Amino acid sequence: MSKDLITLLLISPLIGFLINGLFGKWLKNVSGWIASLAVLIPFIISAFFVFPAVRGGGELKAMLYEWIPIESLNIGFHVDALTTVMLLVITGVGFLIHIYSIGYMSHDSGRARYFAYLNLFVFAMLILVLGNNYLMMFIGWEGVGLCSYLLIGFWFDRKSATDAGKKAFIVNRIGDFGFLLGMFTLFAAFGTLNFDQVFGLAETNTYEQVFGASTLIVATLLLFIGAVGKSAQIPLYVWLPDAMEGPTPVSALIHAATMVTAGVYMVARSSILFNLAHTGVVVAWIGVLTALFAATMALAANDIKRVLAYSTVSQLGYMFVGVGVGAYASGIFHLMTHAFFKGLMFLTAGSVMHALSDELDMRKMGGLRSKLPITYWTFLIGALAIAGFPLLSGFWSKDEILHNAWDSGHQIIFGIGLLTAFLTAFYMFRLIFVVFHGESRVDSEVESHLHESPPVMWIPLVLLAIPSLIIGAIVGWGGEHSAIHNFLKGVTGFVAHHGKAEHSNPVPFMIISSIVGIAGILVAWFIYRSKTPVSEPTNPLHKLLANKYYVDEIYNAVIVQPIRGVSHYLFWKIMDVGIIDGLVNLTAFIIRGIGGSIRRLQTGVVQAYVVSMVIGIIIFLGYYLFIR
Amino acid sequence: MTNIASIPYFIPEIVLVVFAVVIILYDLGSKKTGGNGAAYLGLVGLVIAVITALVIGSEDRSLFLGMVRLDSFAMFFKIIISVATAATILFSVRSSELDPETKGEYYALLLAVTLGMYLMASSTHLLMIYLSLETVSLTSYILAGFLTHSPRSSEAAFKYITFGAISSGTMLFGISLLFGMTGTGDIMLISSKLGEMFSQGDVYPLAVLLSITFILAGVGYKIASVPFHMWSPDVYEGAPIPITAFLSVASKAAGFALFIRLFYSGFKSADASIDWSMMLAVVSALTMTVGNLAALPQQNVKRLLAYSSISHGGFLLMGGVLLTSEGLQAILIYLIIYLFMNLGAFFVVILIANEVGSETIDGYRGLVSRAPLIAVSMAIFLFSLTGLPPLAGFAGKWILFAAVIKEKLYWLAVIGLLNSVVALYYYVRIVKAMFLESSDDTESLSFSPGSLVLLLIFVVPTLLLGIYWNPLYELSRASLGKLMG
Repeated sequence: MSKDLITLLLISPLIGFLINGLFGKWLKNVSGWIASLAVLIPFIISAFFVFPAVRGGGELKAMLYEWIPIESLNIGFHVDALTTVMLLVITGVGFLIHIYSIGYMSHDSGRARYFAYLNLFVFAMLILVLGNNYLMMFIGWEGVGLCSYLLIGFWFDRKSATDAGKKAFIVNRIGDFGFLLGMFTLFAAFGTLNFDQVFGLAETNTYEQVFGASTLIVATLLLFIGAVGKSAQIPLYVWLPDAMEGPTPVSALIHAATMVTAGVYMVARSSILFNLAHTGVVVAWIGVLTALFAATMALAANDIKRVLAYSTVSQLGYMFVGVGVGAYASGIFHLMTHAFFKGLMFLTAGSVMHALSDELDMRKMGGLRSKLPITYWTFLIGALAIAGFPLLSGFWSKDEILHNAWDSGHQIIFGIGLLTAFLTAFYMFRLIFVVFHGESRVDSEVESHLHESPPVMWIPLVLLAIPSLIIGAIVGWGGEHSAIHNFLKGVTGFVAHHGKAEHSNPVPFMIISSIVGIAGILVAWFIYRSKTPVSEPTNPLHKLLANKYYVDEIYNAVIVQPIRGVSHYLFWKIMDVGIIDGLVNLTAFIIRGIGGSIRRLQTGVVQAYVVSMVIGIIIFLGYYLFIR
Repeated sequence: MTNIASIPYFIPEIVLVVFAVVIILYDLGSKKTGGNGAAYLGLVGLVIAVITALVIGSEDRSLFLGMVRLDSFAMFFKIIISVATAATILFSVRSSELDPETKGEYYALLLAVTLGMYLMASSTHLLMIYLSLETVSLTSYILAGFLTHSPRSSEAAFKYITFGAISSGTMLFGISLLFGMTGTGDIMLISSKLGEMFSQGDVYPLAVLLSITFILAGVGYKIASVPFHMWSPDVYEGAPIPITAFLSVASKAAGFALFIRLFYSGFKSADASIDWSMMLAVVSALTMTVGNLAALPQQNVKRLLAYSSISHGGFLLMGGVLLTSEGLQAILIYLIIYLFMNLGAFFVVILIANEVGSETIDGYRGLVSRAPLIAVSMAIFLFSLTGLPPLAGFAGKWILFAAVIKEKLYWLAVIGLLNSVVALYYYVRIVKAMFLESSDDTESLSFSPGSLVLLLIFVVPTLLLGIYWNPLYELSRASLGKLMG
């Protein structure tokens, strides 16, 4: 029964993908509804998994079948509390984004292809979180990467879109390579990739010390490289801002709510390994530095989607701080709230673009509050949530992470996190004031057909705004004893309080972070309530930020160009054309020659055939008589 | 079990004989020529034979005073052979090569050859082994030469007879030597006698070696292994395409059944001193290499597939040199997979020969735009034959290589892998022609719904068995039964 539930849950988006992929041509407007239904079914099933009884007490396991009959390389799935949270986020937010896409993509001729990819993405993402071993996780991991690539480059007739797709793919390969090496290390050490077995053996310290005492350190850091790529952390974050070339609902689903959080999920899933290896501190530092770095870049961006993209990178950093300092449940909590409010903000940004004929430049907006009231209010809720406005969802999860960072003895991380929180509130409200308040700077031609989005688009906005408002308070109230912590207790285990027996009082932290958040909003109001952002940055710091610290240029000069040069001259001209092609051609020449002579043996003369048979028998006998 | 008591367990074979006779009578009686009644009668006969075989079950029984054995191993091969025959009948109905007037005998002969193959899979006595082999050979000669208007076909039949007669004569010589030494024809008894003789030193090894080598000539001829393979390219090219498909799959499967019974039930005890497994390992390596290299320059797709089927015989033989049950299991699994992908590929050749009228690679140019479903199916079969994941051929090769590597025969595994690379080249040439080259003819080809359904019957397992092969694994394990002792 339960196994059938998992099968149905998995197969439904796959069927959606097949229907839209094979018959999309004839489906026209129906394709979006089919795709949405294919995600709604898993959502309903996931909702049942919230009750532990459905999961059979705690954890539901289903071995669908063995692929390669080797221990632990099975097509096996399991559902536990952590998976359930991920399932709900993926299918819940995913379903709303599918519905929204029906409106957003209604004029696009390739929408069947779009929905096919979107369903395929959901399928891969479900495999990623349902797998009961690292191999299944990796299959899903690669699957979502592929779909991300396909969807970033969805409008493949635009060069910038295909470039962005390639960039995302290549940068992710670096991370995936780390993930693969991490998997190999685990397999060499444990002889298995099953979560249960790996974690059990790790806890009892019975595994092959392939790298001596630092085996687990090596393994977890390699896995984390994968997470750095997939979740866009320093130094591999560069692909995510460019990924905004894809359709906006894709940015909401893949590049904000779900795929990019796979790294956070992976670290939380491997919490036992990270605890034993004590590598969480690396995770937390990378996370907090990324959070700050990305937030500063968001300050100077003028493209509405890029602001949100940097904000996503920054918030992912927070999540890594959470899982890095051992507060796994808090990290996952922030992942969940972030999925709601960031998904919401991307969709509202899409709504703005929809109204303004795909305009992205904030400098050409302004005063949209009265024209797009639903969009404005829902965006405001999302922005308040991310800014940590008291009692909204982001407030609870972000505060927990900062509080845990302090309690685990990382005061500097706490400090940087707090600064980032201030910057977050500031750049988000800079965006609000510039886009929705003040004078309208919209082109008159565009302004004439300015309109609020149709219901199929604004209803998902409202449905996402509600959890952005209240979900934090519902599941996060009560800190250690809140609903989300109780729910995840079995999976993510203990919160490591390095040296401290218990939590300090959370109330002062809440007050501090509220003040910081509100201060950010006020400063933004003070600067941007009437001023438009300057088009050409003049002061050097601004210029540095506006040019994204020149990181793309630095990567290009330090990595891309040298590799290109070496590839072109050494590997292509000399190695490839000279040596390898030469060898290949030589081999082909020889083999073709042998093939030709064998063919000539086949003369068609039957006497010759018989002679060859007799000779063969004589050789056999001769070998045994004289040589052996 | 006595002769009379054995008859109830022999019903499937009797059904085949009865239907062969019925087909001939029907053909005599029916007025109109060109109907497919005989073909459908043949199908019905096959289905009844398989059903009765399943009803009788596969409990170990020795029939006809130890001539024939009924066991799960024989059952496995009977079903494979029946599926191949059924496919051949359906192909023949759709092939435009065959003369409609002579179709009656054709289907009767197909049932007769099936009967011979059933016996090849279940014989446990040297005499019965020889008789079954001859039954299959004689009927195959006729079927290969069935295109009476085509000189190529007659030539193929003639070469087949000449080569076959010499091989079977050689084999008979080997059998007589063996009988002379052991005084029995029952292969189980031979096995224990040989073991006894070797342990007491009461044997002249050269005589045993001679007899095993000579018997190998007969078996090697059936599975087309080097140096007994020379007949097969010419015969495969000259025979009607459905018969080529049949010979390359069913005949090979029956040959392997015979090989496993003889060498594993009979000669296993002799391996310690004669080391025939090493001899066969060399044969296996040579067979796949020769088959592949000769396939490289072929322009005729039918001939290319003929050579490729020689090399697949070499691959299959790899599993037979290991003396382990994993090796035999790999053979059985590979045979099932090979059945689907190879028959599928030949079916496409038939369809293209019907519609385009060409058997050369040039005839496949631009097929993807003319008949996309056919082109994609063909690509699936060819990639599966190469052994690319996640197709069935990959699963077959994976299991085979895993068994070889487990026995530490690394050199053989390396040769096998290199051969897979070579195979990729010539298979991809066809794919390239279908997908990347364009043809002067651009009008799309139409195929009957029946043909497309039949095609799907081969495509689906080729796709599915690559990602889900557990049932195959279990089936092959069960089918080996007590064979390995």
